[in-house]
Amino acid sequence: MLTLLRSHILRPLGIYKWTPWLMWLTALGLVLSVALVTGVLVFWQGLWITNLTDLVPWGLWITIDLTSIALSAGAFSLCVAVYLLGLKRYQPIARTATFIGLIGYTMALLSLLLDIGRPDRFWHALVYWNPHSLLWEVTMCVTLYLAVLVSESMPIFASLDWFRRRFARAASWMQQTHHYAPVLAVVGLGLSSLHQSSLGAVYGVIKARPIWFKPEMSVLFMLSAIVGGIALTLFATMLSSRLTPKARVNDMLVERLAKFVGWLLIAYFYFRAWDTLSTTYTYDPGRTEALGLLTGGTLSFNFWFLEMLLGMLLPMIMLLHAPTRRNRFWRMIALALVVLGVAVFRWDTNMAGLLTVMSYLPGASEVAYTSYAPSFAEWAAGLGVIAYGLLAFSLGVKFLSVVDHRITQDVTERVQVGAQETVAA
Amino acid sequence: MSDAKFDRRDFIKLTAVGAAVAAGTRAITHADASSGVPRGDYQWVMVIDQSKCTGCGYCTQACCAHNDVAPDMAWNEVQVSGSVGDHITYIARPCMHCERAPCVEVCPVKASYHRDDGIVMMDYDRCIGCRYCQVACPYEARKFNWKAYREPNPAVPEWGQPEIARRPRGVPEKCSFCVQRIDRGLELALTPGVDPDATPACCVVCPTGARVFGDLNDPNSAVSRILREHASYRLREDLGTAPRVYYLPADSAEMEG
Repeated sequence: MLTLLRSHILRPLGIYKWTPWLMWLTALGLVLSVALVTGVLVFWQGLWITNLTDLVPWGLWITIDLTSIALSAGAFSLCVAVYLLGLKRYQPIARTATFIGLIGYTMALLSLLLDIGRPDRFWHALVYWNPHSLLWEVTMCVTLYLAVLVSESMPIFASLDWFRRRFARAASWMQQTHHYAPVLAVVGLGLSSLHQSSLGAVYGVIKARPIWFKPEMSVLFMLSAIVGGIALTLFATMLSSRLTPKARVNDMLVERLAKFVGWLLIAYFYFRAWDTLSTTYTYDPGRTEALGLLTGGTLSFNFWFLEMLLGMLLPMIMLLHAPTRRNRFWRMIALALVVLGVAVFRWDTNMAGLLTVMSYLPGASEVAYTSYAPSFAEWAAGLGVIAYGLLAFSLGVKFLSVVDHRITQDVTERVQVGAQETVAA
Repeated sequence: MSDAKFDRRDFIKLTAVGAAVAAGTRAITHADASSGVPRGDYQWVMVIDQSKCTGCGYCTQACCAHNDVAPDMAWNEVQVSGSVGDHITYIARPCMHCERAPCVEVCPVKASYHRDDGIVMMDYDRCIGCRYCQVACPYEARKFNWKAYREPNPAVPEWGQPEIARRPRGVPEKCSFCVQRIDRGLELALTPGVDPDATPACCVVCPTGARVFGDLNDPNSAVSRILREHASYRLREDLGTAPRVYYLPADSAEMEG
């Protein structure tokens, strides 16, 4: 079997050695093919093959959707830093973040397409407006922001050698879009601020679910997105530089930003802790019970261990304590933990509200709990969306040099950066 | 800037800003229309008398037959709500048709909307199946079509004949106060709430007359009279959704009789 594969498929393609890169691609390919079959099954059979119910209509796919968008927030944050705040030395990292953002938003669209009951009508929100609906606002902002990300990533795609040779004029035209980077950064900041916070408000306006019904949902979603987005960008950058010579990293830039993530974590931790503690100020039927799910119920492991300890406190110390931050391995671990914490926050938020079932009967104050665990189809298709993201980023690192701190566009051309070299800018 | 320097250009600028503010204000007030309180010629409401309800479940059966609803997705659910004296009390729960309906406010495509007569309608051809309305509804009134309903309906023909098409897979569905019966009845000059052919199937079938339907704009309608003369309550009034389904609390004296 393996020899057949080697003689009939790999050798004609000019592949003679079973390299880690090929193994990685094969693994992703396997996950993607299972996901493709599952995706077809979802569109053909409908959503009954999920474990979603009328009581828990949002599950794993919504979590992946929310997390993809949150972790893409590095794009707008770093573009603002580079093009509006004038921190030009971070331009190469903003480039990586923009590419990750583009992948993240397409991941979100993919998981949404799986999740909605009528994927054939996905365009309805763009045509039939309900300006009163937060979900409408989010849809519009995400669509427009995706257009911004495509414009911002044009120079990245134009740098592909093959493309530059084959379509020289198009490539040079696409290179020109970086002249508009400051304008795009302003538009991106506006659109991102709107929908990153509104994703929290999607939950925050639901009166029927008391654990969600609070204004700070927007603040938490916004803040955790910025923390997680920058953390993912840095983690992906560091991991690439470890695994492939294609990625060239100026570790000084990464370290400085990692310290900033550490400070941001303090703000995020403060708001999350304050939000949790203030939830207990008064007894509100349903709200206290949902909080109980987080602090002592089925979500308590997630909340205390994954969110608070691993997701905030530990990386906060690791990124602010100089020796662990300077150590590339521990810095990378800390950044990965931040990403994990943000993803778990999205899952916990969604679940705490949905698993707590409020009675509408008169005088009935008892609150019931329901349960949800994703089905095989949800896992398979969800992992497929993640595999798509990993594949796209891997190809980007290999062929589009998305992690290359030697590349600087003309705004920063005065600062020529060598690989693994510190720059005093 | 002194008054003397207020030239034509400044005037045009000021006018433009004023126009933009006016347009913006209009856009915002216009946006609010999706959740605005409907005020048509008719204001349909339902009154359910818990003293009379015996929990027989006929309403659910008739609803499933007339609206062609799958048995596990009943729009109208009857459940035990407690007891008064020796009697068990029941709550029948159709869609509340809230005046301030959370589902209408959150729907990203206006597939859930208010009619002028207060009925909260679903446009099954516009809905994208995001299920935000289900998450927002405090009454669990919405059932999602996880699967296409293809089996024969066990409630047909014993409890009635389907009057509307089955909903497609991938959209949530809910009670419409039998809007097809109301609209057809009005065309035939019948009075909903009085003439059975123009009244929701659940009210027609109820063997104890526990469910009454009618127009709140008509002071002489049965619902107006009952709500004037009896104490009533609505479900989860604390949420401010202002439901159009009123309940008369169970009265043990009345239940003995």
